[in-house]
Amino acid sequence: MTNKKGDQESPKALANSTSQSATQRVPPPETSEAIHTRFRVIAAFWAVIIFLGFPIWWKTTSIYRAHLPIQEMVDWDDGKICRPVFPLEIHVATPQMQISESQHLLRTTQHTLDDLNEFAAHHLRLKPVNDTSASTPDEEHNVDAIGNAVEEGAEIALTVRVLSQEGLVSPRSELHADTTQLDVFYPPNHVPLPSSSNPPLSAFIAKELQGLYSEEKATIGHILSGETAGFDSESISRRLRRSMKYADTYHLSFSLFTPGPAPSSWDIENAVKEYLSPLLHAFAPISNFTIDTQVQLYATFSPMAPPPVYDEGEAAWTLRKEDLSAFINAAEWPLNPSIGSGPTLNFILYVPAPSQSPLVVKENRASSWIVPQWGGVYLLNPTLLTDQSGQSNPPYLTHESLRPAFMTFSHQLLTLLGTPTTPASLPLRLQTLTRVRAATLLLSASSTMGSLARLTESLPSIPIPATVASSVSTTLSHLSATCSYLRDGRFAAALASARVAETEAERSFFEKSMVGQVYFPDEHKVAVYLPLLGPIGVPLLVSLLKEVKRMIARRKANKAPAASN
Amino acid sequence: MAVDRRKVAVFSGAFVLRLLLVCLFPSLPDLLTGRVEVSTPVNSFKRLQEGLFLYIRNVSPYDGGVYHQAPLLLPLFALLPDVKSSPFPTAILYFLVDLLNAHALSTISESGQSVKSRLHSAMRKHIRWDGVSIAAWFLFNPFTIATCLARSTSVFTTTGILYAVSNAVEGNSINAILALGFASYLSLYPALLFLPLVLLCYDQQSQTSKTPSYAVYFLQHAAILLGSVGGLLGLSSIITGNLWEFISATYGFHLLVPDLTPNVGLWWYFFIEMFDSFREFFIGVFWLHLAAYVGGLTARMRSQPLFIITSLLGVFAVFKPYPSISDASLYFALLPLYRHLFPLMRYTFFAVAALLYSSLLGPAFYHLWIYAGSGNANFFYAITLVWSLGLSILLADSIFAALRDEWEQANPESQGQEVKQI
Repeated sequence: MTNKKGDQESPKALANSTSQSATQRVPPPETSEAIHTRFRVIAAFWAVIIFLGFPIWWKTTSIYRAHLPIQEMVDWDDGKICRPVFPLEIHVATPQMQISESQHLLRTTQHTLDDLNEFAAHHLRLKPVNDTSASTPDEEHNVDAIGNAVEEGAEIALTVRVLSQEGLVSPRSELHADTTQLDVFYPPNHVPLPSSSNPPLSAFIAKELQGLYSEEKATIGHILSGETAGFDSESISRRLRRSMKYADTYHLSFSLFTPGPAPSSWDIENAVKEYLSPLLHAFAPISNFTIDTQVQLYATFSPMAPPPVYDEGEAAWTLRKEDLSAFINAAEWPLNPSIGSGPTLNFILYVPAPSQSPLVVKENRASSWIVPQWGGVYLLNPTLLTDQSGQSNPPYLTHESLRPAFMTFSHQLLTLLGTPTTPASLPLRLQTLTRVRAATLLLSASSTMGSLARLTESLPSIPIPATVASSVSTTLSHLSATCSYLRDGRFAAALASARVAETEAERSFFEKSMVGQVYFPDEHKVAVYLPLLGPIGVPLLVSLLKEVKRMIARRKANKAPAASN
Repeated sequence: MAVDRRKVAVFSGAFVLRLLLVCLFPSLPDLLTGRVEVSTPVNSFKRLQEGLFLYIRNVSPYDGGVYHQAPLLLPLFALLPDVKSSPFPTAILYFLVDLLNAHALSTISESGQSVKSRLHSAMRKHIRWDGVSIAAWFLFNPFTIATCLARSTSVFTTTGILYAVSNAVEGNSINAILALGFASYLSLYPALLFLPLVLLCYDQQSQTSKTPSYAVYFLQHAAILLGSVGGLLGLSSIITGNLWEFISATYGFHLLVPDLTPNVGLWWYFFIEMFDSFREFFIGVFWLHLAAYVGGLTARMRSQPLFIITSLLGVFAVFKPYPSISDASLYFALLPLYRHLFPLMRYTFFAVAALLYSSLLGPAFYHLWIYAGSGNANFFYAITLVWSLGLSILLADSIFAALRDEWEQANPESQGQEVKQI
């Protein structure tokens, strides 16, 4: 079975071997069949390359660039599309005046205000309300009203009630601390006469209003101009430096540190609920917050920090003001730099050891300070318990004892979030913050759009995924919504739009598949393609060229005999 | 047909050897199953166990993202008792599959197709091994034994390919294509063997009976292949219930190479280093590189379709996405059919030395990299390069020898002369 005798050569092989001439030195000429086979081999490889290779190359390396409205994006960045304006609507109630009198008062006051105002983007519009009762019932919840004032029409920034009061020599004003209401009292004889062009009462009201909004105006002016302009820009930029960069979500971290074994627990849940939640609730339209807490016992000072010194005169242990920066033992205290997506604000409640209690700051006997862009510290000196072994800290801090600390933390939180210091009314300050943040976000989203436009222009080889295009269009539509809300004086809605615009703008700018390509210049492609495709491609190309040359030669040879005939 | 005593001896010897190995070293199968040289993500027995566990509990086997093998294997293995408590039934199934493969090999060898086909007859046909020797060469090859003990599912693909070839040399073209369909269904890449296999069938059938033209014959068999694969896919979709999920988890996995676990092939290291944006393009390049040999080799070696299949199996063992030593063992199984070409080969020593060197040093370097931590990925990668180099030299050398054989036939007077490139 294995060894079959009597080989049958295939007929073709026999034919080949007989037709071959026996020249030893010169290589035998190729048979036409060999030439054909070679042609087929080369054709087979090139067929794969042309019919499969090129489509795959085209499909997998073509760069998808979604269309972006470049010009619009650049225009937003240049501020050509939107000039943010802040028309504040102020209602004036004059229950004890005649209609003509009040109209005259309003007109003259508006006149005076417009004369005083040198910053056109921010202006106050006075509006008469005769039904005083309408504005009062909601006043208690005006803090909430910021949140849901997305209904049609401008928000009421402030309600001014002009009341007459007996026994006054000159007008005086009173700002309600927890509502948006300003009461102006005037002596009855100060009712402006229709003939007087500049009654003292109008001048007084205008000056009061101007004073209320001067800081806001300066801040917005500072943000919009982007440079130091105006009289108190120094203090504004200082305040902006202290506050955190705006974020959609902040993380609040409350930590109790103590060098000894006590206090080992605190009524933090109730304290947060009682002292902090209302404030955070009021902040809801501006930012969201998450909270975590921790207790760290045996938390010692860092060895580098100067220890507190006992001051006989004060009868207290004191820290020097310049040593406060070394107070936080960053190396050993577990203060998480960041949890989740947002930045973290740290609030530290430090209970000193009984042997070092009370602990205060030397210069001003203060017990708290703020760490710019990071958080706040409060030194709590609880009343010490005395027993036979000596003095000790109480093991448990009730939420009553946490009250001063949390009042301070609330204040620090407001500062860290960039709330202006004036006026005295918290709702007004939050309104101001809403407007300031809306302006900031509008500008930052616009400038992100401009940067993205410049980036895609300058790097024609980076891909632009469809998600980026949709983010950009969302951003642009929300930017124009923000702008028109601002024009209508609906600041809460404007801030909501601006937040969406900012988020989408950041998302489109930091798209992962785009950023990777930024650092990949075109020349690198040679290094990607050549090492593998070069060695494969050269023999294929050379054989193709040879084959083409041979075919041309043969065609010529075929033509030559035809011509000679 | 009388029972061939030698054949019985070889087959039972191989069976007993495997049984002895399993009995004497009970931990050996599990050790081999964990080796990256033997088990790849697409043929690992461990992953099959995971799929089986999910399948028995009526969860889609592809849910865990671990199992990437064909779903028809699951009902088969579900019939066998649990491998942890009673490993022998599974082991004996694998032994029997090995013996089946060896039988198919001996059939191929005894047909004499390797030395004499319709269009070609070798010069040195007296130098050859008979079927039993070739079966023995396959059964006692340590790579085959390791694959069998590791219970890699590539052996089923091997069975499909070998039966496709053995049916083809016997002229049963339909059975051959059905077997190829089975192999392609399991591992995708055997579908590339379709062209030479149809040529082989055509040559065999046209010697005995009248056959239609190439194109008609080709289309008929392509339809059979599509039908058989389609039928198996239909069965699979009954088993898994979700055809698309299964296709993306198996063939999608083969095509897109998402798992870059080290193996003896060349893809994993390359795609670890590849820039993400070029990954798809180079996957295309690598697959085309694999597929491009089919056309070229078929055109060049048209007169020896079986040799095309052998060489393509060698190409696959080097260049496919998840190669293991089982692919090499299949190539080594078919290569001895060309014993008559061995005298014409020039670099056998170098190729064999490279292969031995890499199969000894490979596990050592892998250990240094993964366990000892005193080496890095380049140690193992270098060894896989040497392994691929050895295989490629063997492959190129055997193709050279086959061409030389053809040439000598065309120019009998130049027999035994030195080759000169012109």
